[in-house]
Amino acid sequence: MRFLYYDRVDRLTKGESIVGIKSFPLSEEFFRGHHRKVALVPGVIFIEAMAQLLGWLTIYSYDFKFTAVMSLIEGVKVTSTLRPGFTAEIQAELISANRRDSYGCARCLVDGQEVASVDRILYAHSRQVDPEALKQLFSYYSGTGGDTPWLSNPGRI
Amino acid sequence: MRYLLVDHITGIDPDKSIRGIKNVAMTEDFLEFHFPRNPIMPGVMLLESLAQMTGWLSAVSSDFDRWFVIGNVLQCKYYGFAYPGDQVELEVTVSGEDDQGSPIYLGMAKVGGRKKVVAEFSGQTLPLSDLDEVEDKRREYQVLTRSLPRR
Repeated sequence: MRFLYYDRVDRLTKGESIVGIKSFPLSEEFFRGHHRKVALVPGVIFIEAMAQLLGWLTIYSYDFKFTAVMSLIEGVKVTSTLRPGFTAEIQAELISANRRDSYGCARCLVDGQEVASVDRILYAHSRQVDPEALKQLFSYYSGTGGDTPWLSNPGRI
Repeated sequence: MRYLLVDHITGIDPDKSIRGIKNVAMTEDFLEFHFPRNPIMPGVMLLESLAQMTGWLSAVSSDFDRWFVIGNVLQCKYYGFAYPGDQVELEVTVSGEDDQGSPIYLGMAKVGGRKKVVAEFSGQTLPLSDLDEVEDKRREYQVLTRSLPRR
């Protein structure tokens, strides 16, 4: 299982917001055991998807000079009764940030309907990073950066 | 990877609390990307461990009629990381009720007695027979509680 909970980044505004897309196919590893008679997307996966995108927004906003690690989540609502076969749009906003920490909010929409939201995700920053390596990871994960217009990324930034 | 995030149940008090263990192994798939060259058990996976513990608490408290799924996280605070090789001690206790009278759970994850995660959450229970074969679940519970005295 590759612990990556977005398939691409569609919109990215430095210091403000990020919008990403995540598909939920039946082939996801987490359906093994969750459950045997019906496949249900675990609610915490939505939390991880929102946290990963907001974390990257923070890192990108500060030019990859630090990494962001989740330290607190508050006011989370998730739907735990969704079967696979849908695509979620994940929207996240950075509310406040300084050198040491940052926080924001996020939500997941499926066909315009909200299926998960979090009022506050707080991150602690760590400066023990290689900015160039972090930038490359983000490029790979998000489908942004580089000069070739990959066909899988119509909402290219 | 099988999405089973509880290895052992070490104590249970139906309708009240449950205790158990999650061992973090270097073979876990999620450690490859979380994070590259710096494996740390993802915080939401620890939250999932606590949610699955609550599932077992619901199952045992209802004679395997109901299973808990998470719906709201009031707060989840991370105090430290769980690394490969760590044995995470899990505990979930019913701590109150929400507006609809559903239980609110307080979950705690510790490593070597040191607090790593404290989470307050609630959710709904679903008919277990809609999710899994009840007999399979009973057998799985016997495996997880192998060290507990049989009733």
